[in-house]
Amino acid sequence: MPYACARVPFFAAAAAERAEPTLREHAVAIVVGAPPATRVVEANAVAREQGVMPAMTETEARARWSRLVTRPASVDLVEAAHAALLEAALGVSPRIEDGGAGIVYSDIRGLERLFGDHAHIAARLARAAHAVGLPARVAVATTCTVARMATWRRSARVTIVSPAEQAAWLAEMPLDALELEPELAATFRTWGVRTVGEVAALPRPGLAERLGEGGVRAHDLAHGRDREPFRAYTPPPFWMEALGLDWELESLESLARVLAVVLERLCVRLRTAAVTADALSLDLTLASGRHDERTIQLAYPLHDPAPLLTLITLDLEAHPPGAAVTRVAVSAHTVTARASQANLWQPPTPALRDLAGAVARLARLVGPENVGSPILIDSHRPDAFTLRPFHPSDGDGVGEGRGAVEADVPARAQLVMRRLRPPRAVAVQTVDERPVRMEWGGWHRIVQCAGPWRVSGQWWEQPWARDEWDVACGDGTLCRLARDHVTGAWLLDAVYD
Amino acid sequence: MIEMEGVVRRGEITEIVGPLSSGRTSLFVSCLREVTAGGGMAALVDADGAFDPSSAARAGVALARVLWVRGDGRRDAGLRATDVLVRCPGFTLVAFDFGELPPRLSLTAAFRLKLAVRRSDVALVLIGSRRIAGAGASLALATERDGVEWGGPTTRPTRLARLHTRLSVVRGRGAPVAPEQRSWCA
Repeated sequence: MPYACARVPFFAAAAAERAEPTLREHAVAIVVGAPPATRVVEANAVAREQGVMPAMTETEARARWSRLVTRPASVDLVEAAHAALLEAALGVSPRIEDGGAGIVYSDIRGLERLFGDHAHIAARLARAAHAVGLPARVAVATTCTVARMATWRRSARVTIVSPAEQAAWLAEMPLDALELEPELAATFRTWGVRTVGEVAALPRPGLAERLGEGGVRAHDLAHGRDREPFRAYTPPPFWMEALGLDWELESLESLARVLAVVLERLCVRLRTAAVTADALSLDLTLASGRHDERTIQLAYPLHDPAPLLTLITLDLEAHPPGAAVTRVAVSAHTVTARASQANLWQPPTPALRDLAGAVARLARLVGPENVGSPILIDSHRPDAFTLRPFHPSDGDGVGEGRGAVEADVPARAQLVMRRLRPPRAVAVQTVDERPVRMEWGGWHRIVQCAGPWRVSGQWWEQPWARDEWDVACGDGTLCRLARDHVTGAWLLDAVYD
Repeated sequence: MIEMEGVVRRGEITEIVGPLSSGRTSLFVSCLREVTAGGGMAALVDADGAFDPSSAARAGVALARVLWVRGDGRRDAGLRATDVLVRCPGFTLVAFDFGELPPRLSLTAAFRLKLAVRRSDVALVLIGSRRIAGAGASLALATERDGVEWGGPTTRPTRLARLHTRLSVVRGRGAPVAPEQRSWCA
């Protein structure tokens, strides 16, 4: 049963390089602690070539290489990079296991028919990791343990360990490839054990007797056995990408620039795993110590950074954070991307991605409650309607062909009304209970009127009743007048146009 | 010449102007009906929020295909909303109903709008009491009330039956078009 292991060496440094790609050409050290007690906890390959190693003080590291670039250790960056590695592996195989920081195992059984032999699968996994900004080494072997030890080799990007040569290959591996606890490794060294093969040759009962569980574990690892069953990883519903800052962001423009970087990284992850986001959660840590949390529901699932940035920026402009921002975290609720096919017999409709951006801009201009598609309410009350979010695919008859649509709508030259919302109270003079004059920006003579039409309803809840009149004013305007029976007021309801 | 109701053509700006109760909104709604019945999407920027969904539905408009943007009376916001919509390809018809208070639209802005309309291949209809797009509009139609019919079982009318509209071309695409009469049933 073949497994692949992808490992990103010097993971904390790789996570920093992923956030700042320009660091890749420099010697980078990740440091913790406050000066002068700052210590190096991780260094990239370039720094290690110059002699910079973990556990050094920053002063000592700079003495080794004066052009060393240091970055503070960031849990956010490491977690986001690890999640990105897992999601990249998910894009190759649906069964993966989280192997700890910077390591992921993939069950590649059955993938040969999709991607080719093991070398091709391993190369694909390496490319997927590289696409999310992580230079991974990949190895394929019969067990996760052997694959993991194979990635320990520093020279090869892709390593294939065949079952036939596995024992000989393991025997040559240095003891460090087992990645044992420092005390256990030191014990083996005092015994003169230098290679994995020498550990495998030790008697198992003797190891258990002298070293306990750790000795047995080392023996199993040396034989390439997996000590635990494969635990499939389930991606969380929200994928988060965060960036902590050493300075404060006070303007929306600077915040938008940081958000653009964060969203770009997040969207690369989404694209790699072929998923989209249908909701975004934004968590801004403010300089005051508070958090500004907001959720943005997307009208259409997206994985493009530009429209997502536009939507977040519009929301921030409408509701700015209360203080300067020191940390930005964006979480995306993921859904599987589905392609939709347009109808051959209908005109093209707006791309949902474009429509989402346009609707967001309109909502910012006139308010979200004023943008939508009208729906008539099943009521006799005049002007009974509501607005629902505009979504072309939800339209009645959409996608059912031109004939189906036309059958639903009668062809009629209908005189329509322009409503006054709310209806305007007007003074009306009547003769013989029929309106003859109306006060609407001055008194108007009513030259013709038709009615009344009595309408009423909802006597059990909020009773309403009114007499409606169609009237023609002296200047030719055709209006709908109504006399409210509850209040006794005359209302100018609409103008025919 | 004609695409929608013999009036509106995609990729062009059309103006429908006239006084209240002249049938200009009814003419626009008939275009809206044709667009939505054909499966197209339409957007209406309604500066005064005067659009009546119930009478539009009676006219045959598929309301689910209409994006209705209700304004609060601000004409500048309505113009900006129109600009956003005509730059979103895929709508068949975008309309801006500014009612009785026309906004100020410079000739430069009108031509910019015309360019956006042409690029998006959308029909832009401006509805109001007077023209605002000037030479930016390819067609301008004026509506004029031509008569009203009242109905009822006796001599005293009980309902408004029909409105007749005279439709004339103020600014045409080519040769002058003779005035045309339309009737709208109440």
